[in-house]
Amino acid sequence: MNPIAAASPQHGDTLTRARPLLGTLVEISARGTSGHTLNTAIERAFVAVARIQALMSYHDPQSDVSRLNRNGTAGITVDPHTWFVLDTARALAEASNGLFDISIAPDLVREGFLPHHADLAPADAAANWQHIELLPDHRVRFSRPLHIDLGGIAKGYAVDCAIRALQDAGLLAGRVNAGGDLRLFGEAAETIRVRHPGAATQLLPLCQLREGAVATSASYFSQRQHQGRVVTPLINAATRQPCIDTRSVSVLADQCMLADALTKVVFAEPDQAIAVLDHFGAHAVMIDADPTLPAYCRVRLSDSTGWRDALPEAAAE
Amino acid sequence: MQHPPVWLIAPAIAAFVAAPAYAVQYMNIEQAQKQFFPQADSFASMPVEFTADQKSFIEKAAGVRMRYNKQPVWKAIDNGKQVGWVVQDEVFGKHEFITYAVAIDMAGTVLGVEILDYRETHGREIRNANWRAQFHGKKHGAPLRLDNDIQNISGATLSCKHISEGVRRILALHETALK
Repeated sequence: MNPIAAASPQHGDTLTRARPLLGTLVEISARGTSGHTLNTAIERAFVAVARIQALMSYHDPQSDVSRLNRNGTAGITVDPHTWFVLDTARALAEASNGLFDISIAPDLVREGFLPHHADLAPADAAANWQHIELLPDHRVRFSRPLHIDLGGIAKGYAVDCAIRALQDAGLLAGRVNAGGDLRLFGEAAETIRVRHPGAATQLLPLCQLREGAVATSASYFSQRQHQGRVVTPLINAATRQPCIDTRSVSVLADQCMLADALTKVVFAEPDQAIAVLDHFGAHAVMIDADPTLPAYCRVRLSDSTGWRDALPEAAAE
Repeated sequence: MQHPPVWLIAPAIAAFVAAPAYAVQYMNIEQAQKQFFPQADSFASMPVEFTADQKSFIEKAAGVRMRYNKQPVWKAIDNGKQVGWVVQDEVFGKHEFITYAVAIDMAGTVLGVEILDYRETHGREIRNANWRAQFHGKKHGAPLRLDNDIQNISGATLSCKHISEGVRRILALHETALK
């Protein structure tokens, strides 16, 4: 077979599947030269996602995360995947000066976003990411009692693992979308769209992307009433206060794990986030809905100097 | 990233307001059956019509309200012997309508869940039973219009809480009607 013809978009089948995983819908789409290869590769990609869910779920008592939350102070050995995500979380916490912090689980439990596990010893209220020691041979120890949640990073990592499964199968193109955390590869650039933060079923074309990841965080679906107050799972780790507003934040990065985690940093402190985005080679878009005008919003892009309006003429109207 | 992204925001504002609803058909029920039970040589349709007792058992066991009186169910058969069940179900939230299929083995364990159709709209029609009926898996002869252009959406979808509840309901259905 002519290899050039085989690699062109006109040749090959596309297959798209979706399953409920990671607390959301995970959609995997791929293009390859035979239907059988595609089906097998997509199946492997779903298995990779399910594996990360089993390791890093806060809900599952058997997960590495739950084992750490129960016995972390004694020091335990975790799966290499978990160790790698913890190591990246540490790099993000360091670069963001604690704006990204996986020790916010008690805050999410208090707000009703994570279940209360009765078997956990109380966390030290003053403990944070600095009290997570990453030791050789995939060992982890908490130097103070704390509870971690990888909800802000593991979904992106699961997407990365699924993409790797598709690439390992030698496919021409692939896309994995876990409830808005999206990564793709292929020969042709595709249009990425984001939701309007004020009207979530409306879509805004954001950028062209051939290879890379985009993750978006917004409170439009997750924000809700809890004990008479509006709450959201997006928490500013520095102030431990929920981020409630009409913004959505999208981050573009090479890895979906980074894109996923960096949305939380931008959400918490947009100005401080600029240096963090630069450090990881990432770009961000902030979309602010104007609640008085449902179809209108203000769009700002990050660059190394700060935030600039993407639509200066519209903003002036 | 090696190169800064190619932004599309500036020319997009007009398209933005009139963005269409989003719909995907992932597979039909026959494809899902084969995916779950590749070894099966036939699938026998045996829809379950609930008695009042079964309905209240399911509502109690699964902790969810029963909206339907009838559920599409198939027996997966390999060489004359039943190897499992396939149940088709649907859930809907404020903005989305999802049909999906669940495979259950002979021990009553969930083997897998596959999404058949996902559609998202501005919301109002989702509450309308006639609107939903047009997408039922059994009517898959009528092709769904797919928005192939709108595949790459970054931004949270709804949680799959409704599907988790649906699977619980189907397991209760299995307990009371398929054992």
